[in-house]
Amino acid sequence: MANKLITQENLKALVNELAASYDVFAPKRENKNTVSFGKLQSFEEYVSGVLLTNTTAKDKVYLQSEQLFQYELKKDTVEFKEKAPGKEAVIFGGRPCDARGFDVIDKLFNWSGYEDGPYTGGRKNTTIITVSCEKPETTCFCTSFAGGSPADGKGSDILLTPVSGKFLAELLTERGEKLAAKYSKYFSEAGDAETAAKAEFAKAAEAKITKKLDLAAVKKNLDASFDSPYWDTVHLPCVKCGACTYVCPTCYCFDITEKKFGYLNGERNRTWDSCMSEMFTKMAGGHNPRTDTKRRFRQRFMHKFRYHVDNFKEELCTGCGRCIRRCPVGIDIRKVVEEAK
Amino acid sequence: MNNIYIPHKARIASIKQETADIKSFQFELLDPEVRKNFKWKSGQFLILSVFGVGEATFTFANPQTRAEYVECSIKKTGLVTEAIHDLEVGDIVALRGPYGNWFPFEKFKGQNLLFVGGGIGIAAIRSPIEYSLDTRADFKDITILYGGRSPLDICYFDKFDEWQGKKANLVLTADKGSEGWKHKVGFVPAVLKEMKPSRDNCTVITCGPPIMIKFVLKELTDLGFAPEQIVTTLEMKMKCGLGKCGRCNIQQLYVCKDGPVFDYAEIKKLPDEF
Repeated sequence: MANKLITQENLKALVNELAASYDVFAPKRENKNTVSFGKLQSFEEYVSGVLLTNTTAKDKVYLQSEQLFQYELKKDTVEFKEKAPGKEAVIFGGRPCDARGFDVIDKLFNWSGYEDGPYTGGRKNTTIITVSCEKPETTCFCTSFAGGSPADGKGSDILLTPVSGKFLAELLTERGEKLAAKYSKYFSEAGDAETAAKAEFAKAAEAKITKKLDLAAVKKNLDASFDSPYWDTVHLPCVKCGACTYVCPTCYCFDITEKKFGYLNGERNRTWDSCMSEMFTKMAGGHNPRTDTKRRFRQRFMHKFRYHVDNFKEELCTGCGRCIRRCPVGIDIRKVVEEAK
Repeated sequence: MNNIYIPHKARIASIKQETADIKSFQFELLDPEVRKNFKWKSGQFLILSVFGVGEATFTFANPQTRAEYVECSIKKTGLVTEAIHDLEVGDIVALRGPYGNWFPFEKFKGQNLLFVGGGIGIAAIRSPIEYSLDTRADFKDITILYGGRSPLDICYFDKFDEWQGKKANLVLTADKGSEGWKHKVGFVPAVLKEMKPSRDNCTVITCGPPIMIKFVLKELTDLGFAPEQIVTTLEMKMKCGLGKCGRCNIQQLYVCKDGPVFDYAEIKKLPDEF
């Protein structure tokens, strides 16, 4: 796929033009202390310096709560109404770990012989323009994963990397190429020098990430540690708030519920759920296979670094480190899986 | 959009009160095209919508050989089941499925079959019982051991004559008997022990409350049955039925797509989380 160049000025103009015809979501200041993905009116609102937004961009495609359909009971039948497809969207200014999160859950929503239309519909409608990270945080560990890097384009349609005062724009998918072609006036051709500069940039950024997990060893340890006394104590600080699952770019578990408008109308909704919740596995009649925090805590890490790897040959984690930063008691996912034995 | 969550519309065609808290429902799919193409196999499950309340998972109670309606026997247990018990013939519901795997009957050909059911677990094995009776020539002896808490908790009294007429040996038991109860009294595992089924060329299909299953497995193991000879269905909380919502995950498996039918050899490899 092609490499292009775009200047700071042109990028600003591009984003402003995109904002006029698409829903553009980008890191935006919500309040004094919080930057999250919000709908951009103009480039001015974009906060470029923040690496880890409060929550990921996941909820711009996989909505925190979304309507699956509405129903209306009629005499002798029922009518279903699906919501109209959303406006085309652009997720701008996310980071490689966020984009990779989409790549990971895309597979889940397409596997088992069923394509999940409510998810894939929104996904196909969204172009992801990512910005490489120059200065990773101490909690970052994306380089632990196969191909993971602060300058990796997996899951992105276009990856922007700052080189010599401009951005190298790697057009990584057909969707990315289409967008660049539509707005070709803002882009110029990139040469070998810029491509080489990007490789330098990636090398330097990767070198700043000091924590690297040996995932083969982690998998081996988790394979053998289900019944280990390790889990009896490691979960003790957990307060079961579920923040880790809420800010995760790859946590995908959900609930299906119903909202009743009246006797005859209502809607069926899908809402994010969390394996850290007691209700998650509680059955009608009261039986619950994961009654205590230990079992739920173990499930979260086993799922991410063992079970999901068995099924998908990749971890259910991209190393963004948000769960580490958001955990009120300082549980560090890297430590938990690395020390499991 | 390929919205896999939109269910098929259906109408309640009949309701039969089986016990104080179990009713059997026959559902008729409204769309003739859907009705024609809606095919399932014994062991699979469906997700039923009761509008205004939500969805819940049920096993098909009737086999593919008796597929005029979709039948479920439902015990009043939670929100959705309570709501469906309040519905009447003609009311509109919806269902999606069939989901999951099925009993591998092609592997059981030429064998003796022993069905062991307890409580509402009988709903899950009525389908394979009737399937095996409808393909009777494929099997040797068919024995059914079915127990309930009391004689009043036994379902399907109207079906027993037909089952026995097709040469099934039916053994009924109640944990506690009552006056006029001419069958066994005692827990299912104890009666099973007394029956001493031979493990030779025999497959056991069992479903019931976890505590019954636990002791049935023990008795069968004591009788020399190999884990591969014992087949059951696992139950986990499910929301989607499609391998996506994450609830029914045990180890690398999803009960909804890799199960619900497992043999005991497969179950033994799983952690104690169901």
